[in-house]
Amino acid sequence: MMICVKLIANYREQLPPEAKNGVVELDVPDGTTVYDAISKFDIPLDDTSVIVLNGLTVDMSTPLKEGDMVTAFSAIAGG
Amino acid sequence: MYGWHLKILRVNLTTRKATTEDVDPKIARDYLGGRGWAIHYLYKEMDPAVDPLSPENMLIFATGPLTATPAPTGNRYMVVTKSPLTGALAHSNSGGEFPTWMKRTGFDLFIFEGKASEPVYVLVNEDQVEVKSAAHVWGKDVHETTDILKAETSDDARVACIGPAGENLALMAAIMNDKHRAAARSGVGAVMGSKNLKAVVAMGNKNPPLHDTEGMRALSVDTSKNVGADVKKGSNMRIYGTSYVPQVTNTLGILPTHNFLQGTFEHVNNIDGDALKNQYLIRHTPCYRCPLSCGRLTEVPDGPYKGKGEGPEYETISSLGTGCGVSNLAALVKANYLCNEYGMDTITTGMTIAAAMEMYEKGYISEDVIGMPLKFGDHDAMIAMIKKMAYMEGFGKDLAMGSYRLAEKYGHPELAVTTRKQEFPGYDPRGSQGMGLLYATSNKGASHMEGDVAYEEVFGVPVKENPLTTEGKPELVKHFEDSFALIDSSGLCVFVAIRYVFSKDRMIWPERLSELMNLSTGAGYTPAEVMQAADRVYTLERMFLIKAGSGPEHDTLPHRMLHEPLPDGPAKGRVVELDKMLPDFYKERGWDEKGYPTQEKLMELGLPM
Ligand code: SF4
Repeated sequence: MMICVKLIANYREQLPPEAKNGVVELDVPDGTTVYDAISKFDIPLDDTSVIVLNGLTVDMSTPLKEGDMVTAFSAIAGG
Repeated sequence: MYGWHLKILRVNLTTRKATTEDVDPKIARDYLGGRGWAIHYLYKEMDPAVDPLSPENMLIFATGPLTATPAPTGNRYMVVTKSPLTGALAHSNSGGEFPTWMKRTGFDLFIFEGKASEPVYVLVNEDQVEVKSAAHVWGKDVHETTDILKAETSDDARVACIGPAGENLALMAAIMNDKHRAAARSGVGAVMGSKNLKAVVAMGNKNPPLHDTEGMRALSVDTSKNVGADVKKGSNMRIYGTSYVPQVTNTLGILPTHNFLQGTFEHVNNIDGDALKNQYLIRHTPCYRCPLSCGRLTEVPDGPYKGKGEGPEYETISSLGTGCGVSNLAALVKANYLCNEYGMDTITTGMTIAAAMEMYEKGYISEDVIGMPLKFGDHDAMIAMIKKMAYMEGFGKDLAMGSYRLAEKYGHPELAVTTRKQEFPGYDPRGSQGMGLLYATSNKGASHMEGDVAYEEVFGVPVKENPLTTEGKPELVKHFEDSFALIDSSGLCVFVAIRYVFSKDRMIWPERLSELMNLSTGAGYTPAEVMQAADRVYTLERMFLIKAGSGPEHDTLPHRMLHEPLPDGPAKGRVVELDKMLPDFYKERGWDEKGYPTQEKLMELGLPM
């Protein structure tokens, strides 16, 4: 199934060149979780990152559905 | 005592007399400094019911015990007064260099009273204080004023001043310092203008003596190292400043768009941090001795929006940008420069124009009244409105009163997205429930800087809280309000203080901050004591609000937030569930069920009954 991963700001450096506006499309097997999707990138999986599914706070073990968007950004002071 | 000078400079602008006075060490300790000291004097000396633009209003510039010390970001001051926009309290924070120079005059606080008979500026060179004519700079913008006053005083001086917006009493007027830094919110610049006070110029060499200079240096270096390590790894705040935030809030569906009609903006990529960095960034610009350096010097090199200055920050992007539906980055950057030059708060300016755009599109305000079409996304009209507001020209007179008064005048008060008549910052609380509670109860009307729980709900600092739930939010909001009152009183910048200074393990508990305050002042605070002092400050401010007529009956949110569900994004279908949070919040604060501080609470904090 096709899902999207969006990386924001400094995490964008890790995206492949075909990514557009920080978003890359990935073909992943059924049963892929938020954790699996984000593990494809070198994103620290601790409290220095925020990872959301379709903009919502979810457990990292949540399985993904076709068309889902996983977004990651580094946890830091706001505006 | 150390850290504080324990000295106040009081300038009566009516008589043009300056006097100095000592601060009681017990008051100093109990109210921390900065914002805390300011509310102590305001509450003690001024009737909270005064007209904010009358000579009776006091205008206080307040530094804290960490201002002008080696503590990382010890470069802040607060401007505290009664707000002409809200009728409640104004306490607006700014950094840059002026606050450090102000503290080096040997005074912690400047209190301005009365009204000069003609435009003046006040020059403070340590004990030499002069009230001088400002006739030659009246009418000039912030940049020109700053250059002229530095040229005629000293290159070693630093300037805080108002621009045309403050002179003309626009209710979103800011007090600008070092040209680009703003004590922005709640119309503090209009209060300064009402006193005919164009500028304050500060210079001196009186750094506050420290209780433990070596200890202070060691802890400051250690803290700065943590900031440095993150900067090395590629900290967003260094690379982008706050301009990376639109992508975050857009992802969460809480990016104010079209006067909060939507929570996502389809053209966000045109105006985000990457676009700004790639097109207009020249270099980073720190406030004095800041290890993070989140400011940015930018330039639009040519074309109709040519200009150079600092910013824009996120809050400007979410108001003059997405709030107004503007996706032309050059125009948005130009609008930001203009606000800085005219001396205006970009949030209230942008969101007032956004409200006017909605009223225009709905046919409630005609093109004849405005003088031109004013559709969402029309960046040239947005820029034209900024000029009209600053100079009170035509429809600009209505805009200059802020969105609440504007919407009321044209018969649709429900379109003003304000609390206590102050415009919302860039987090739609329908998708960030804790922010909703904060806006509803804040002592200065809607403001993220009153206790920014977006740190947890949005940015995951120190931990990510679900922004859509109400559970636990009353405690969280109270804790953040007190934490921000503490930071604002200490003289630090919240960006660095919350993440790096509060505690070593990055929790929101002021272990290291209280240690820094002790090394500076020798006051021997425990973390619990500084938090209690912050509670004292917050509660006394609440007492001020009650006496000013801005009490619990104003602890609410505008119609859109309570009754119009977000139509898009992850928070689609949500409104703010304020009634689920407000009663518990009052309990957390030690207030009764109607929202008044209880006698027990006042007694516990040692406040007047
Ligand atoms: S973090 Fe940014 S706003 Fe705060 S003191 Fe540093 S440069 Fe100034």
